[in-house]
Amino acid sequence: METKIGIFLCNCGEAIRNIDFAATKEEVAQIPGVTCVNLSSNLCLKEGKEKMISCIKKENIDRVVVAACSPDFKEHFFRQVLESAGLNGHLFSMANIREQCSWAHEGDVTVKAVEVIKMAVNRARLLQPVKKKKFPVNREVLVFGGGFAAINAALQLSRVGLRTTLLEREAILGSETVELGSLCGFDISSMMSEVEGDENIEILTSAEVTAAAGKIGGFTVRIRKGGEEISHKYGAVVLATGYQTKLALEPELKSDINIVSQEKLCRMLEDPNLEIRPRTIGFMFDFSDENSRLSTLATLNNALAAKQKWDSEIYVFCKSVKVDGPGAEKLYREARDCGVVFLKCEARPRITADNGRVKIEAKDVFLGEDTILACDLLVAEELLLPSEGTEALSSLLNIRRDSRGFYQDENVHLYPVASEKKGIFFVGGCRGDLDLSRVLTDVSSVVVSVYELLSSGNILTEVEKVKADPQKCVACLTCIRVCPHDAIQLVRVDGGKEVAEVFDLACDACGVCAAICPAKAIKFRAYRDEEILAQIEAIGES
Amino acid sequence: MNGCIVAFCCEHSAYPAADLAGKLRLHYPENLRVIRVPCAGQVDVIHILKAFENGAAAVLVLGCEDGACHHISGNTRAKERVKYCNMLLKEVGVDGRPVAMFNLSPNAPHKFVRAVNEITKIKKESGR
Amino acid sequence: MGNNDVLVVGSGISGIISALELANAGVNVYLLEKEAVVGGHSASFCCKATNVCSKCSACVVPDKIREAVINPRIRLLTNSTIKKLSGELGNFRVEITQQPRYIDVEKCIACGLCTEVCPADPKAVYPPTVEATPFCYILNEVLCLRFKGEKCDICRENCPTRAIEFELKPKEQELSVGAIIVATGFDVFDARKKGSLGYGRYANVLTGLDLEQIFTREGYLRLPVSGEEPHNIAFIQCVGSRDEDHDYCSQVCCKYAMKLAGLIKYQSPDTKVTIFYIDLQTAGKGFAQFYEEYKESIWFVRGVPVEILQTASGELEVRFENISQGKVCRDTFDLVVLSVGISPGKNSWGLARILGINLADDGFFDTKDSLSSNETNVDGIFLAGTCQGPKDIPDSVAHGIAAASKTIQALGGVASQRRGNQRGH
Repeated sequence: METKIGIFLCNCGEAIRNIDFAATKEEVAQIPGVTCVNLSSNLCLKEGKEKMISCIKKENIDRVVVAACSPDFKEHFFRQVLESAGLNGHLFSMANIREQCSWAHEGDVTVKAVEVIKMAVNRARLLQPVKKKKFPVNREVLVFGGGFAAINAALQLSRVGLRTTLLEREAILGSETVELGSLCGFDISSMMSEVEGDENIEILTSAEVTAAAGKIGGFTVRIRKGGEEISHKYGAVVLATGYQTKLALEPELKSDINIVSQEKLCRMLEDPNLEIRPRTIGFMFDFSDENSRLSTLATLNNALAAKQKWDSEIYVFCKSVKVDGPGAEKLYREARDCGVVFLKCEARPRITADNGRVKIEAKDVFLGEDTILACDLLVAEELLLPSEGTEALSSLLNIRRDSRGFYQDENVHLYPVASEKKGIFFVGGCRGDLDLSRVLTDVSSVVVSVYELLSSGNILTEVEKVKADPQKCVACLTCIRVCPHDAIQLVRVDGGKEVAEVFDLACDACGVCAAICPAKAIKFRAYRDEEILAQIEAIGES
Repeated sequence: MNGCIVAFCCEHSAYPAADLAGKLRLHYPENLRVIRVPCAGQVDVIHILKAFENGAAAVLVLGCEDGACHHISGNTRAKERVKYCNMLLKEVGVDGRPVAMFNLSPNAPHKFVRAVNEITKIKKESGR
Repeated sequence: MGNNDVLVVGSGISGIISALELANAGVNVYLLEKEAVVGGHSASFCCKATNVCSKCSACVVPDKIREAVINPRIRLLTNSTIKKLSGELGNFRVEITQQPRYIDVEKCIACGLCTEVCPADPKAVYPPTVEATPFCYILNEVLCLRFKGEKCDICRENCPTRAIEFELKPKEQELSVGAIIVATGFDVFDARKKGSLGYGRYANVLTGLDLEQIFTREGYLRLPVSGEEPHNIAFIQCVGSRDEDHDYCSQVCCKYAMKLAGLIKYQSPDTKVTIFYIDLQTAGKGFAQFYEEYKESIWFVRGVPVEILQTASGELEVRFENISQGKVCRDTFDLVVLSVGISPGKNSWGLARILGINLADDGFFDTKDSLSSNETNVDGIFLAGTCQGPKDIPDSVAHGIAAASKTIQALGGVASQRRGNQRGH
């Protein structure tokens, strides 16, 4: 079918002066398939735009090439102009003769400009329209976890009208959250009763997931609870599986009763029947694990509480105090004003058990001398680790983790709560050492992200941007393995054959599958082999 | 084509960097031809080889920085493909690493110009 | 049923992100910006990649700005400030004053002819910074001859699209919105306040922000006056943070200093780089590993210098207490970079008064209670980004999204007719 290509040149108000537009116009008019060539000085302004629309309509143009500034600047604008003229916005190709031609080289660049326009024309000739369609999505959300982040997420999701299921591995919700409540001063029990009373929230405890499949809008999850397995569909999945801490101690010290974790100290502080109050307490953090934001906060809070309740002498050993959270510096100052002593050391102190007490040998940077402290209680260093089951869950859902095993790839282009798979989100401690303020921000972020996707029950998206030809596909599964967004699935077509199918909702149009398909069965509209090769052929023709 | 350099520019990184270079009026050789692609990982071996078949003297593949690919691993795939192409081309007698991959960010116009200048140098050194 | 439009005040990264999230949820947004260009501070940050991405997130900003500017639901109002506010959640009336730009954003095609023909020296009409959006030329009233009383019409006559107009007065406008998000960002700590560090007096004492801008524009680090490559560089941390006037950690300085230092070492491995610090903030995703790598090639010295003097030969002499050696030392450097912190915006006080929201003790906007970092004391007015407290770019993004979330929840959910989730190619 003969296409009718219209070329619109723009000299940006005659500011592009190192291109001979008259000669260019003459030359590109001779390209086969070109119906008309127009020169304007202000295509992106009202006057130029109106002239363009009337020309497209008058000449029955069905493919448009604009040679002007960068598509990054105006492609979106011109696509809308095409729509106004009755053409699908994707039947458009832009030749960058300003930023990457006129401005980038000295002297006359007419030869390059003509070639760049020819490349765009060759591409335009092959372009196909792209349509949009509404895809229905399931409006239910699955939240993994039962801690602070999970409960808050469920409450907020319910408030925006989305039915949520809380899937908790343990027998009760919020078992780890009690200390957090007392540390940060909020009432966990009222949150719990709110969750239990909410009709929009389904709570599944002692439950675990055995299989997960599907994509955004329709994740099919098999849940095992009480010996029974049920399958359910969810539109989005939120992981709020938290973290765990492990004492970083030499094995011979692990059973020493005078060496405790932060959590144990919290409980001791709350215990009204505590027999002996420790007179000297040592804290340690930041040596084995420099991601010690949470350890810093826990130390500061607990140290202040111990000072207030027990009036103990407190010594803190660390490399650097991590105060990069709201209120942390103030707490640090308060602790020092109260008499808590901070010793900064480069090397990890030596700990030994000594006659019912704990001996700490360290070299403080400021004193420059070796110091020895004998204390009644040592709150040991804790390593922050992903919670148990994080690895299994991530391989079940096929999502990436960072170098420490926490969720979310460290890629800067992912929103803080998003994964590389559309529809799967993370909140809270399972993302690493987030303090309370950051966890709350995470929860709000995830709520709006899920809301945007699911609330209307359907998502409008471009259809078949990337399409696998069922005739050519040999189901080698390469594309499925390679897709970074896990957007390709195997489906059965008429004839019983299994072929790869790109799920439009999950696809992010990168084209990696198209490049790797050994049978060349996948076509990426607008970047098909033909379109790229056509551009290459235009080079050097003049 | 006679000595052109074909640059496959990822639309998230290299293409805006090239635009920024133009805005800053940073000049680079005029024989560069840019093909905009959605991800460096979408550039196929056949695209690169076709460029040489049509007379290109060198090919640049430009993608996001290592670890910052918008599509997670597209730039890593591109790197492997570029290595493979150089190997293929060497077998047919086109020596001297005529295909090169560079990584950059959209706000790094100087890196774009450096990449073009470097491939131009490599091209000259192998007498193309 | 109240108004569901939202006003976002400030177009830095947080404001842009809030606007985008609201737009994606079907809300119409007015994006207000007091400057002529959008993007705030982070738009001028440089890429700090070595042979791998250093995760500084600076490249996220231009991407998002471009998305926001083309989004049909976001209406951009530059050169604008709020004059008065009345009403309540669901029904706010905001009076906006828009300063005249003299160059119409809708008409300017950035051809550059006006700059070429401007007779003033320095030129009164010039392009915004190259990374700026909108890329519309700027007319500076202070430098313009016409505004000084002379008869000059050259730029207007030469403008091919008639974009320049002088007879303009500030425009008043009233907006009706249901909620407001304040995303006015921060001020960089003015290093001149620490006079003994020599910023503003010695040419080779720069701030971290200066360095970012040099890398973006030049690509390499060169000394400002001599143009030579520096061989011995010092970074001084906590300038304007963690002191009597700033009882907080700015959160970003240790990260950006180390990443800039890493970039410098990558470009010129022989350059000596020293970082003077109090406590190294290495918390955050992936950062501790980054620190492990650079521990070998960068000198980390505990102890922050308080005085910098320039020697006769132009070098910078830094006096500091070398804590591990226990004595006062002197070291000379070619270049000293002050890692300046995030300070509350100086306009915050005025805006707080107009909107009726509170400022906290440290000068940032206050939140309603400790369990919410987006809500203010006024229902329907929310905070996003560094105007609420120091944050790095990823945290600012998260905070902006959270602000949009809180806003939508407050507006009671928005009609689901106009919803979409697509990023067109």
